[in-house]
Amino acid sequence: MKYVHTAQVQNKLNMRLIKNNISKIIFFLSTIFGLIMLGILIARVLIQGIDWINMDFITGKLSTQADKAGIMGAILGTFWLMVVVAPVTMFLGVGTAIYLELYAKKGRLQAIIQTNISNLAGVPSIVYGILGLTIFVRAMELGNIVFAGGLTMSLLVLPIVVVASQEAIRSVPQHLSEASYGMGATKWQTIKNIILPAALPGILTGAILSLSRAIGETAPLVVIGIPALLIPFPGGITDRFTVLPMQIYYWTLDSSLTAEYANLAAATIIVLLFVLLILNSAAVIIRNKFQKRF
Amino acid sequence: MNFKKYFVFFVLISFAMILTACGNDSKDEEGNKAKGKESNELEGSVAIDGSGTVYPLMSKLAEEYMVNEQENVSVEVSRAGTSAGFKKFLAEDGTDFNDASRQIKDEEAKKAEELGMEVKELKVALDGLTFVVHPDNDWATELTEKDLKKIFLKDENIEKWSDIDPEFPDEKINTYGPNENHGTYEFFYENILEEKDLVSDINLQQEYSTLVNLISEDVNGIAFFGFGYYVNNQDKLQAVHVDFGDGPVEPSIDTIAEDGDYAPFTRPVFTYLNVDQAKEKPQVLDYAIYVMNHVNEFAGETGFAPLPEEEVQEYVDFLEGLKE
Repeated sequence: MKYVHTAQVQNKLNMRLIKNNISKIIFFLSTIFGLIMLGILIARVLIQGIDWINMDFITGKLSTQADKAGIMGAILGTFWLMVVVAPVTMFLGVGTAIYLELYAKKGRLQAIIQTNISNLAGVPSIVYGILGLTIFVRAMELGNIVFAGGLTMSLLVLPIVVVASQEAIRSVPQHLSEASYGMGATKWQTIKNIILPAALPGILTGAILSLSRAIGETAPLVVIGIPALLIPFPGGITDRFTVLPMQIYYWTLDSSLTAEYANLAAATIIVLLFVLLILNSAAVIIRNKFQKRF
Repeated sequence: MNFKKYFVFFVLISFAMILTACGNDSKDEEGNKAKGKESNELEGSVAIDGSGTVYPLMSKLAEEYMVNEQENVSVEVSRAGTSAGFKKFLAEDGTDFNDASRQIKDEEAKKAEELGMEVKELKVALDGLTFVVHPDNDWATELTEKDLKKIFLKDENIEKWSDIDPEFPDEKINTYGPNENHGTYEFFYENILEEKDLVSDINLQQEYSTLVNLISEDVNGIAFFGFGYYVNNQDKLQAVHVDFGDGPVEPSIDTIAEDGDYAPFTRPVFTYLNVDQAKEKPQVLDYAIYVMNHVNEFAGETGFAPLPEEEVQEYVDFLEGLKE
């Protein structure tokens, strides 16, 4: 006696296999689409810009003449911006995360704060630019200097650091802090000696990723008002400045005046991508190296 | 323990950075002190904002000044547009110069008065309002002044090219121009269209490069902007030859010059100087004098017609007079 109708099963099986293959192809194509776009972007930028990258371009001053223009000013501007953004976001971000995760009582207030931090992460960057223009540039009369730009950028990336730090703190095993309390440590001692060291890799990863976001952002700085031509190098956080993405923006726009500017923009994109690649790999390395310590 | 190491490291780095940052604070004060010294070396900064039309000329001048004259003066050139620039110029601690592709308005002059600010108008060059079309447009290469105005006026009800001339294609005219932030728009609206309403579907843009790209892809488009943006894009655009009554005139450095054949659409472009700042900050005055001495030198290559020498000399004399 036959329990299985081979023919019937075979018939249905074929259909299922076809469906399986179709879905496989659809999902493969979705994956490939993003990769192809990235490939086209990188190839185009490389072809257009690679010839323009040389020591003079990297270390030179800005110029209206395409063959003389350099981006050291923008690189230094980006550096000084990070000097402001890194400590400010680290302190405020980790502080917020510690409060929310370890001190705040679970309740309505905490839920409201939590929701709003998630909401902040979704606010368009240009809105932060308007905020920065109103508060730091105008009300505090800082002007369009590195410090004002840095504070604006810090606001922008703060939610990223807060959320990443919260995740990191939450993932520290409960038994570690319980052991600490068991030994008679206070809450702050436990946080300082047990929780933060254990959560540090996660926090650093979040911080580095937020920095790379800040390096690539343009919109808030457009609003704050970065000069289109600024030749001297910024020497500190009180100087006026320009950054790499702003230079890309201006050169792209001005390519209608001087066609070679488009190549300069491409070359600057390569430099910017390179910087971002380094930062993001640092984040990956830190994460992988310290991830499984417990 | 590990955390402590990280923490100390971070604190040290942040301190080192903040310290280096503070080292440069006193820069501007030194710039003002440099006045009395024997050498003519100046320091400090000069802030310029305003017209995007004048920007190519002013950024060129700024660069030449910094390379050849005063290496330690930082001339910062922005281009928010004439009207947006005036808002930054007419403020406490505003910008030192505002480039303008139109004259200062009465209300702006009043604002300056309220602030107790002395403003000097410096004419820097002549620009021709240029109408551009797609290179493949072979019908509207020559238009009369009247037809051009009709295209942009709401009340004329011109929708298709064929509404102007039955021989023109039966296609909708797409109009483009710079937006209200720009003096070019205001010049066109106030001086050429005499404040009559523009067609409602005109595509107004903040950036000139966007306009150039839009027109270079729209066979039925027509746009207006400063001559400089046409000169640098002659491969992508074609300028409409305008007939003011004595036959079509092509806009060029020669025709847009003083008393040239393109004169009805020619306008002076300016930069406005905050005289109080110039008296207070030697680098601002020095830069102003440099600008007026060299403006004709760079006008041509940036797409402007030069001013008569005597007129320029008058400005230089005025500025020299501000020196104590």
